[in-house]
Amino acid sequence: MAQETGRQGADLSRDGATQTVASVDRGRRGFLGGSGLAAIGAVIGSGMPFSDTLVPAASAQGTAPAKGPQHLKYPGKNEGLVVLGERPLVAETPESLLDDDTTPTEKFYIRNNGQIPEPAKDPEAWKIVIDGEVNNRLELSLGELKSKYRIATRRMVLECGGNGRSAFSPPARGNQWTNGGAGCAEWTGIALADVLKAAGLKSSAKYTAHYAADLHLSGDASKPSLSRGVRIEKAMDPYTMIVWGMNGEPLPNIHGGPVRLVVPGWPGSASQKWLTRINIRDKEHDGAGMTEFSYRVAIKPMVPGEKGDPKNFRILESMPVRSLITNPANGAKFSAGTKELKLRGAAWAGDLTVKAVDVSTDFGATWHKAGLSKPKNKYDWQRWTATVKLPSDGYFEIWTRATDSKGVMQPHQAGFWNPQGYGGNAMHRIAVLVG
Amino acid sequence: MHAIPSLSFRRLLDAPLSRGLTLLCVGALIAWATPALAQNFTPRDESPEDFPAGAGRDETFYACTACHGFKLVAQQGLSRAGWEDSINLMVRRHNMPALDEADRARLLGYLEATYPPRAPAARGGWQNPFSKQ
Repeated sequence: MAQETGRQGADLSRDGATQTVASVDRGRRGFLGGSGLAAIGAVIGSGMPFSDTLVPAASAQGTAPAKGPQHLKYPGKNEGLVVLGERPLVAETPESLLDDDTTPTEKFYIRNNGQIPEPAKDPEAWKIVIDGEVNNRLELSLGELKSKYRIATRRMVLECGGNGRSAFSPPARGNQWTNGGAGCAEWTGIALADVLKAAGLKSSAKYTAHYAADLHLSGDASKPSLSRGVRIEKAMDPYTMIVWGMNGEPLPNIHGGPVRLVVPGWPGSASQKWLTRINIRDKEHDGAGMTEFSYRVAIKPMVPGEKGDPKNFRILESMPVRSLITNPANGAKFSAGTKELKLRGAAWAGDLTVKAVDVSTDFGATWHKAGLSKPKNKYDWQRWTATVKLPSDGYFEIWTRATDSKGVMQPHQAGFWNPQGYGGNAMHRIAVLVG
Repeated sequence: MHAIPSLSFRRLLDAPLSRGLTLLCVGALIAWATPALAQNFTPRDESPEDFPAGAGRDETFYACTACHGFKLVAQQGLSRAGWEDSINLMVRRHNMPALDEADRARLLGYLEATYPPRAPAARGGWQNPFSKQ
């Protein structure tokens, strides 16, 4: 089912579904026969929290596929999402599924650090607490948040701090995201700043610390699975929101509902899901995900693969510029004689905007400027389109690079290596075959 | 801490209780100890045999899957020192019980041999969909 020449009409393959896409073999596990289980007892005996009996007993659902990406099976989610891990559940959106101007909830990536909580039985009664360096401790139900503050809806990118990690060489620790740890949804809620003003920030207020309802994977209720925060200046940004709506619907449980933060432009981990408390601190937060190499990059660039010194690390704040080709899909085939391809994509740049997107069909030897839309509001992504000519049939790669409003462009490779692989924003490329 | 239920669990299995009572207790324990499983997403069952054979595979599998799926491990590729850092991180920050030297060496031996730095990022994090290799 080769795609035909020209592909006039943007709706022809809006979701890439009409293209033939060569399968990408991500699997490299050999499914060799198992050796005996004799040694397991020794490990369990050394104090492992779960035994082998507990988990399989309650979760038998067949075995992992031998080859290719594992696709997500989750109520309300698109099966095109690729599972990076199930415990915790992490799934990314292939670039070609990010072809909508607003990312539908079903296509939005999933990142969890801990266990997924049970859905709230009475969402309107969900409470958040604002305490710490404030004049008035506040305890507010979702119902009160909706009635007491000015409600806004904004389309903003949410992006995992580790997006692009798989491009690092040598590999960095953590989930091996390609570019799919990002999406751009319509978020409905209120400015966190309005709530902080109501609480009355003391002059000592310097940093936020976010807490949530999800349990640590170990089940230890005293241990936050993730507790990050931001400088008070970012917390007071009118676009930093407490949200309860996503794309016009109540925020789904899997995306942190009923109430979460959206701290646009910064690593997604700052946008705490299942938000229960924001503690205002007089110094930088030191919760789970704040220290050592977590969501941090090297100050003095380090030799890739070497052991880092935590003293040489700073917190990653604004995410770097990134662009994607969202159509055609990687692996698309076109009929012989195709001389022209229409491209679509998205670009964004953390706290900044994108001022240019260029595309290349010759590995960067020559570049062509793409048409770039304006963001709907601050922190929205910018859609782009381009038409490129092909000199012949054959194998081509299409590369895209974006340049942010300060003139900083995506590099060819993920640079400034760090142990946990943040800030990897190598140019996106797809391969297509003509004829 | 899950170390406590897990020890109790072992004792249950070892105790000379009637089979019915044991199963009842195990069921109650599962319900109490694994709230994440009682919802609309159930992680796929993984077993050591899903992963490349090698000395230490089973011990490594059970040590890691006490908390998280093995897919998280298998998608990474690190040097021995990198894997050692990962284990240290898990012990220091994520409630993994400390390993004695023999267990540590066994886990590291498997991880180093099976998940070295070559993949996936040696392929630039991007895989050619047309490549036959």
